[in-house]
Amino acid sequence: MHVATPAASHTSCRLRLVDRGRTITIPILRSGILARRFCRPGARAELVAVFERSLYLRCADMFLCIATPAIGNGPITMIGDFGRFERLSDLGLRPGLPVSISDRCITIGGSVRFAFEGCELWRPSAWPVPRPCVELINICDAIVRLALVQGPDQGFAQGYRLPERGSDEPPLARIARSRIAHFQSWLREALQTNRIDTAACLDAIQGLIGLGPGLTPSGDDFLVGALAVLDALAERNAHAALADAIAAALPGLTCPLSNYLLRAAATGHLGEPLCRAVSAMISGMVEPAVGSIRAIGHSSGWDMLVGAASTLKVVAAARSRWPPDEASRTAPQLAQLENTTTPAAACRASPAGTAPPRGSGYRPARSPPRPG
Amino acid sequence: MSVIRNEVRRSTYLDSIVLMRISRQVAALPGVEEAGLVIATPANKEILRDARILGPEGEKAKPGDLILALRAKDAAAAEAALAEAKRLLDQPSLSGTPASEHVARTIRGAVQQMPDANLALISVPGHFAAAEARKALALGLHVMIFSDNVAIEDEVALKREARAAGRLVMGPDCGTGIIGGVPLGFANVVPRGDIGIIGASGTGIQEVSCLIARAGGGISHAIGTGGRDLKTEVGAITTSMAIDALDADLATKHIVLISKPPDDAVIKLVLDRVARSPKPFTICFLGARDLALPANARCAPTLTAAAELAIGAAMPREPANPPPAVSPRGRLVRGLFAGGTLCAEAQIVFTQAGLRVASNVPAPGAAPMSNAKGWHRMIDLGSDEFTRGRPHPMIEPAVRDGPLADALADAEVGVILLDVVLGLGAHADPAGHLARMLAGCDRRPLILACVVGTDRDPQSRSAQASKLTEAGVIVAQSNADTAAMALKAIGT
Repeated sequence: MHVATPAASHTSCRLRLVDRGRTITIPILRSGILARRFCRPGARAELVAVFERSLYLRCADMFLCIATPAIGNGPITMIGDFGRFERLSDLGLRPGLPVSISDRCITIGGSVRFAFEGCELWRPSAWPVPRPCVELINICDAIVRLALVQGPDQGFAQGYRLPERGSDEPPLARIARSRIAHFQSWLREALQTNRIDTAACLDAIQGLIGLGPGLTPSGDDFLVGALAVLDALAERNAHAALADAIAAALPGLTCPLSNYLLRAAATGHLGEPLCRAVSAMISGMVEPAVGSIRAIGHSSGWDMLVGAASTLKVVAAARSRWPPDEASRTAPQLAQLENTTTPAAACRASPAGTAPPRGSGYRPARSPPRPG
Repeated sequence: MSVIRNEVRRSTYLDSIVLMRISRQVAALPGVEEAGLVIATPANKEILRDARILGPEGEKAKPGDLILALRAKDAAAAEAALAEAKRLLDQPSLSGTPASEHVARTIRGAVQQMPDANLALISVPGHFAAAEARKALALGLHVMIFSDNVAIEDEVALKREARAAGRLVMGPDCGTGIIGGVPLGFANVVPRGDIGIIGASGTGIQEVSCLIARAGGGISHAIGTGGRDLKTEVGAITTSMAIDALDADLATKHIVLISKPPDDAVIKLVLDRVARSPKPFTICFLGARDLALPANARCAPTLTAAAELAIGAAMPREPANPPPAVSPRGRLVRGLFAGGTLCAEAQIVFTQAGLRVASNVPAPGAAPMSNAKGWHRMIDLGSDEFTRGRPHPMIEPAVRDGPLADALADAEVGVILLDVVLGLGAHADPAGHLARMLAGCDRRPLILACVVGTDRDPQSRSAQASKLTEAGVIVAQSNADTAAMALKAIGT
């Protein structure tokens, strides 16, 4: 799997951090597809969160993440060259500041400017051909064991597949295990019978959405991992059913940011660390898969990995012929974004104010009808 | 009577790490029975309700809100905890990560965090390991390189650079070390003592240190050198420096040196250095013959013999496991090893008994697998062909499942040899995995195993040995004993 690094063309805009009086200008190196769409010229947004390695802007129900390269590329992410500002909290920005967007830059609070000039569009690489299913089942088991050993105390990494421990067991572990099992049961039946029941899927995922700790709840991250694997294995029917169920289940089950990320994932927009992890996983490589997700949040990466491994195991066990024909395979996200080169141009081509999932260009090939 | 308090923050975004840290901090406050800080989704409110910490304010919260919910033993404790929780929520950056929890992203950052540190353990993809090792050396640290796939040219350059700076480079591909009682990599929990070990082999160090521990001895330091240190190109740089270090260490009274046979050009170099040491040595160069040892050194043909010479006594044998009768099935032996050195040791026991042995990693006197028909086979499951893209069998015992199933099904195989390696970093229950694999397998060969570990290891050697015994596996005291039992079982 290709690991994105700043290309030679980026060198011209590296270290161009300039402190002009009170305005700091930070070059944006790369942008995800949905991040570009966020940047409609003239739009107003709000800075809602400032973390050490990332900032989050919100405009209606859309979010934009501006981050250091350590966060990794993603659909809603713009990667900046922050130079000497190792911690973004050192920029002096506070949640609540107004954000203005032009075709050249994003300006936060009049003091920090993110310049689009030289920004490149990030796209994920194509998924690799998966290993034989018997091998994949072993890989999944190994990953779950590693999650138990190395994963954080919180989230799904520890709760999944632990034996029942009666009343001492944390409520999250008990609830999560039964809901993961419900999800796997739905997927197993769907794959074995080749009958995709979106209503049943909806029933299976409603208990997972919004479940667990963190800025993006563990259950949401689990489903993002599941979507990635279904995309990677070209399980189009199951992917479409899950995507439709997520669209039908929301909103109100989870927080707005996680809602946005989950809907983005349902339309095939996945972050680079997760793409790398799933690519490694289906290529039979455990340690690179785990290594790729360590940088995602505190427990989010592990929750995604557990979601991916849980899903992969069900799919691998259900498929007698493996791998699927090469012709049926697809690149992740299939995001045939507008053929534009700047965020502003991308935004002009995008319906104003629309949320990302619909019309992103991605749609599983054989979509079942929506529920009810 | 317990009191529930909730604090709801509208549209508040805090980093996941901060959320979980504050949650833990509040839960640890005096008088707090239960606490949680989560996004107010319906699913999370259900969990808070289930935990009996959701109050009326929390019930009204929306998915974009944060709920801090707690239950304390009385009203005073609840109010105090809530006040502290509000302070942490208002100033999340001030509740910064405690130093003990902060994960440094660079070696320099780690040194800033722990200025007294004098050793860096490097475990990154091999391609990057040399660069990280150089950074560590530049910061004045000793280095243990756990990574493999480091070019030998890099190894030579690093070790020369380190030697010039008076620093030790353990590795690359150094799986085990114990420095000053601190286990590094795959090490076992052994008592401190007066025996120092220098080893080019991870599982060799583990086997010898565990045998010494089980016989009542202890380890001062165990210094891994990496498997290529005794190659001509490297010239035993780390081995020589490790001898220097153990010579200077007052706690070390006896030194054990473990390796495969060194290159001819290096043997004299090493033995000359041993001869200059004031301390007694046990030298276990597995498979080496006709060594001209100095007066202060004795030769151990096996790891077990090395441990026995080091402690000056014979190992206690497993009383509950008499040697097995002659195998009822075929006459071939199949060894399936997680430890590369244990595989080599078994080959040497067999070749020294005059038997024909083949291996994917042949020891001196053994043949490659292509010539294996009708021969005994010893397979190193930790070699690249089995671990490419998969964890090492010490971490993931399922790596052995396929080869074990093959051996169980092979009518020519009369004895199966296994090793179960315990310790820090190893799988939590390798014997349990084997027992499940063997359950229901009635017509099977004799299965002999050694368990490398101590009762102080997380898995407990005696508990693991019991599981194997219950599964019908005969457990020997050591790997060499297992191989010797196999010889008896096939009538040799």
